[in-house]
Amino acid sequence: MQATLEDFFKALRGSDLKISLNAQIDAARAVELVGWSDRTLLKSALGTTLAKTTADRALYDEAFDRFFRFSSFENMAAQDPPDQDQDKQTATGSGGPGGCQGSGGQALSQLLMSGDSAALAKRMQEAAREVGLTDIWFFTQKGFYTQKIQQAMGLELLDREISDAKRQTLAPERAKALELARKKLFVEVRNFVERKLALFGTAPTRQLHDDFLQSQKLSNIEKRDFARMHVIVSKIAKRLAERHSRRKKKRVRGQLDFRKTLRKNAAYDGVMFETFWRSKVVDRPRVVAICDVSGSVRQYARFLLLFLHSLGEQVSDLRSFAFTNHLVEVSDTFESLPVEQAVDKVMQAVGGSGTDYGQTLLDIEAQLLDDIDRRTTVLILGDARNNRGQAHAEVMQLLYQRARRVIWLNPEPVSFWGLGDSEMKRYAPYCHIARECNSLAHLESTLDALLRTHSASA
Amino acid sequence: MKTLYQHHFDSIDGLAQRLAAVDYIASREIATSVYLGFNLEKPILVEGPAGVGKTELAKGMAEILDVPLIRMQCYEGLDESKALYEWKYGKQLLYTQLLKDKLGEMMQGAVGLAASIERLHAHDDLFFSEHFLEPRPLYQALHQERGCVLLVDEVDKSDPEFEAFLLEVLSDFQVSVPELGTIKAKVKPIVFLTSNNTREMSDALKRRCLHLHIPFPEAKLERRILERRVPGLSATLNRELVAFIQAVRQMDLKKQPSVSETIDWAKTLLLLHAEHLSLDMVKGTLNVFLKFEQDIASATEQLPALLQQARKDAESPRASHA
Repeated sequence: MQATLEDFFKALRGSDLKISLNAQIDAARAVELVGWSDRTLLKSALGTTLAKTTADRALYDEAFDRFFRFSSFENMAAQDPPDQDQDKQTATGSGGPGGCQGSGGQALSQLLMSGDSAALAKRMQEAAREVGLTDIWFFTQKGFYTQKIQQAMGLELLDREISDAKRQTLAPERAKALELARKKLFVEVRNFVERKLALFGTAPTRQLHDDFLQSQKLSNIEKRDFARMHVIVSKIAKRLAERHSRRKKKRVRGQLDFRKTLRKNAAYDGVMFETFWRSKVVDRPRVVAICDVSGSVRQYARFLLLFLHSLGEQVSDLRSFAFTNHLVEVSDTFESLPVEQAVDKVMQAVGGSGTDYGQTLLDIEAQLLDDIDRRTTVLILGDARNNRGQAHAEVMQLLYQRARRVIWLNPEPVSFWGLGDSEMKRYAPYCHIARECNSLAHLESTLDALLRTHSASA
Repeated sequence: MKTLYQHHFDSIDGLAQRLAAVDYIASREIATSVYLGFNLEKPILVEGPAGVGKTELAKGMAEILDVPLIRMQCYEGLDESKALYEWKYGKQLLYTQLLKDKLGEMMQGAVGLAASIERLHAHDDLFFSEHFLEPRPLYQALHQERGCVLLVDEVDKSDPEFEAFLLEVLSDFQVSVPELGTIKAKVKPIVFLTSNNTREMSDALKRRCLHLHIPFPEAKLERRILERRVPGLSATLNRELVAFIQAVRQMDLKKQPSVSETIDWAKTLLLLHAEHLSLDMVKGTLNVFLKFEQDIASATEQLPALLQQARKDAESPRASHA
């Protein structure tokens, strides 16, 4: 019983549900109370203890139905396998290593020929537990586990019997029947393993994929992964926002406002019943993000914008600009559309070839410079490849003097800066921070730093 | 600490029946969760759309157990002083003024500051005793002699700080008042938290609770609820009415009619002596269960079709929630 429950917990984790130890204990106690006999009751009892949100509940329901779906063997016989017996047997049968060989002491061939689907299903469950099927992760392991389970069910004995029957000229029909049954057995076990793979393997492999996506160069991420990336980005953004909002709350209360306290307490003969505290101005970063969206870096821009706008109210007053050969403000697009759509739209609208950093910088000087003050952080994303045009680094100097900070994120590795038509070496001196940034992990650490320095200096 | 949870219910069906006896018709899902919450001694976090009976459930439990229901409505900015206790500041001030003379008498003969303070100390912290304490819902809940049902309503509206404070109360059923020391519950209350999902609750809170989601009821359950809540409603009207509401819930509305609205509507129709749903009557009473102008407009448009479907469903009750 316990083992079945543990397998079920594992399966739930496999479908992306986080279950705490606490919930597991509750679930076990709940099962004790309601018993295994009523399936719907069991489902709601486990559901109320294990699933903690409505969304989780949907995941849970699906996992429950898949997990407690009975291994079929329907094509062997018409009988339906009685479910609870199966659970009981698995619990008792898995006691010793030899447990699987003799559930009822019957040979596999006998089971197959008699068409006892319940006993077969039971045998398969025991075998699965013995070989540790719950550890399956990859589809490449399917063959291995199928083989292992068949062996644990007593395949060797069956094979010997088949070859014996073949040698005996008297029983060719029996040999044929056994071979057919063996094939059916293979199909059943294979299906069983596939179902378990879907149950146990989904979440770990997705996690692997996520880790891979986070360290991957943003330009190499394929379109089919965009949806997943959006999910990851918003997850990270939420985490960052949470971390920094908490720190800020602590800092809101400042020193004792002595004057106000005295004034208010004059009514009590100067006895200070009520105290008043100075409140600190919460300093949220004002960010101006300027992104190169030309072919070579647009992927990076896409994710930076996505990230920034997912941070929500942690960044007040976020203005974003896109450019290839001139500057375009795109903040409005983000205000009117959901972030994902807005990014797509910006990428389509502000296109064109021939990056011109010189012209863009002149645009910045003309349009933007007046709005930049000591509270503004300027975030520039681009590879600084200027197609041999004028660099206009003097505008960068102006920016550097006016802004609180100028951060340049360059997708190229540092060793490439200044090579060919890259003007990075000329711009870099006028940046407070200039760093290589080409994966989600880089982006995360940069933005974390951006938020942290702001709350620390508040 | 004694616990109300010792008051066992023998089975889930038994619990459902007793809830039915106090006019709360619980689905099996609800009864299971409450039964488990009861036996595992855990608070229950109830989620679901507004008006499906989250609060009623707590009221029903209080009635069954014959203990008071203490309700704490959460809102933004709710803090400890509003939820737990507050010193009756005005009373303290008034008393010190009134007792000024007495204090003077008491101090007579005391030489020097140290001696005076010594004398004051002999009288305890009179001004910070229970007489000057304004108990708020949580404090009251801990102080009930026979236990109580504590309903923390719309916990999602409270601030994260308050949620963290609530954790301490929910896990140990004790709070510390600096001036009085730790206050422990005399009898462990039964706790229901409700949430409308305006924000995600913290993992820590979720971990301490069982989770129960109450959706809109199925037709069969809703008919039973109406039978209970609106006695005197004819069986035909009951069936037609429920079928109609169920059909309305399939529409794309701003706010879908909930059980409480169904009940209101049934009461309205009963007052109007209706035997069947007629087009005019429905048109005239739409505003009882639809709360937005837009919703009423779109429902009026489709009214004949809705009515026809409701009548059809009412005749073959099996198909009513396809």
